[in-house]
Amino acid sequence: MARFSAETVKLLGRELYDYEFTDESATAVARIIGALTNYSRRLHGIGLAGMQPPFGYATLCAEADRIRRSS
Amino acid sequence: MPNHAEILDLDVAALAEKIRAKTLSPVEITEAYLERIDAHQERLLAYITVTADDAREAARKAESEIMGGNWRGPFHGVPIALKDLCNTRSVLTTGGSKILGDFVPNFDCTVWARLREAGAILLGKLNLHEFASGATSTNPHWGTCRNPYNLDRIPGGSSGGSGAAIVAKMAAATIGTDTGGSIRIPAAFCGCVGMKQTWGRVSRFGVLPLADSLDHAGPITRTVRDAALMLQVIAGHDPHDATSSHEPVPDYVEGLNGDLEGVRVGVIKELLTGLSDEVARSFNEALRQLRILGAEVDEVDIPHIEMSSTIATNIMFAEAAEYHEQWMRTRAHDYGADVRRMLEAGMMTPGIYYVRAQRSRAAILAENLKALDHFTVLAAPTAAIPAPRIDVGGRALSDSGQQIDMVAAVLRFTAPFNVTGQPALAIPTGLAPNGLPVSMQIIGKPFDEATVFRVADAYERAREPLPEPKL
Repeated sequence: MARFSAETVKLLGRELYDYEFTDESATAVARIIGALTNYSRRLHGIGLAGMQPPFGYATLCAEADRIRRSS
Repeated sequence: MPNHAEILDLDVAALAEKIRAKTLSPVEITEAYLERIDAHQERLLAYITVTADDAREAARKAESEIMGGNWRGPFHGVPIALKDLCNTRSVLTTGGSKILGDFVPNFDCTVWARLREAGAILLGKLNLHEFASGATSTNPHWGTCRNPYNLDRIPGGSSGGSGAAIVAKMAAATIGTDTGGSIRIPAAFCGCVGMKQTWGRVSRFGVLPLADSLDHAGPITRTVRDAALMLQVIAGHDPHDATSSHEPVPDYVEGLNGDLEGVRVGVIKELLTGLSDEVARSFNEALRQLRILGAEVDEVDIPHIEMSSTIATNIMFAEAAEYHEQWMRTRAHDYGADVRRMLEAGMMTPGIYYVRAQRSRAAILAENLKALDHFTVLAAPTAAIPAPRIDVGGRALSDSGQQIDMVAAVLRFTAPFNVTGQPALAIPTGLAPNGLPVSMQIIGKPFDEATVFRVADAYERAREPLPEPKL
């Protein structure tokens, strides 16, 4: 079980984003992210060895070309 | 000349026929819809903005073109509406938010540009869950959109206004967007057709994002044929969207012949649990109907499909938080409570789980493709329950007043096909005993929307027509 505390949420919010969480939202977000982390760890069970993320180089090139043309 | 009620009874295909034959004028059709909007907008809040003057002007122009022999196609002179996530030149585009409450773009999103070019008439911009970030369309800034079948029920979301407007006959066709089910959920809860085509089939240029790698903009309509007609107009590569596909766009209408001989329908076994009795009954009856029509129907395993909600949540949280980061720093108090909470969670979503979720998508798609080696299409319920009750704060309630877990009730059924990017169409299967619509999904191979339309159209022809809501 991932342990993500409200204090950690508040600290990260402040340090990473200059964002102040309220006590209530920090507690709720800690609970949400704790649960999501636990579920996410199980994704390994699908068998991801050797599997690529769907970030295609062709899209990268096409997007760069679009930006170049429009700038 | 038919009266306004008779005009409103016509779907896009029927309107197009009469407009082309010059027996019905776009001006008269537009007036019928504007009158209908006037009559029901206050109770349903389906619209955020109604562009009545522009619609009348566009209708006059369409009439003049058509009378001059320049009919452009099935959407010429047909009044439609867009989810207010779609940027429209010189027309307020709010995203259902306070943050963009006075934003007037100077450009059109490609979806609207193509529909406008096809001669469609814009009635206005439709209500939604703020920034498409929820499934209820209970909007704290623009008012709560309501379900035409029961005003105490949510229309679903995030494209709630798009679903409500179709069923209330406040537009002939609408555009919604879908990141985890936001086209199909309102289609299911409101009792109409919602098509989420293959990711990349339709340009997302100019549509405000929720999560780019899961987002789709697509049709919400009265019939499968209308959805096919609308997708025909908006599909195809767009140089403004590098992720839009170069895959050729086939004729979606020519295959709609009602024939299901040789079609094999795979019912996704993992999505048959947790259904309410009325959904289970109606879904089974729909499968029986498909068999009668000549399809072979069998169950199929997609072993890890239940992981899709986790995958979609990681991606949605992280990508949405990245888009909204600047506003969260400066205008966090301007978000509704539920959307702000989602974005706060997104700020804390670990990067490694975002990437792992992205990598997992190929595995889930591979399982679907393996199933589709043996089946023509797949089928599943669109939601486990009919539309829940409205509550404040973006939540949804059961009949007994308990908060509904929307992941278990809805996202579990719809998000898998955002994760895989496959085409998935929601079609009503009937009304539950409490008078609320229920729905099933037909899911196809990537870029094979034509087969999805063919199966759904055949079913729709055979199904009893849905009784209309009493407004």
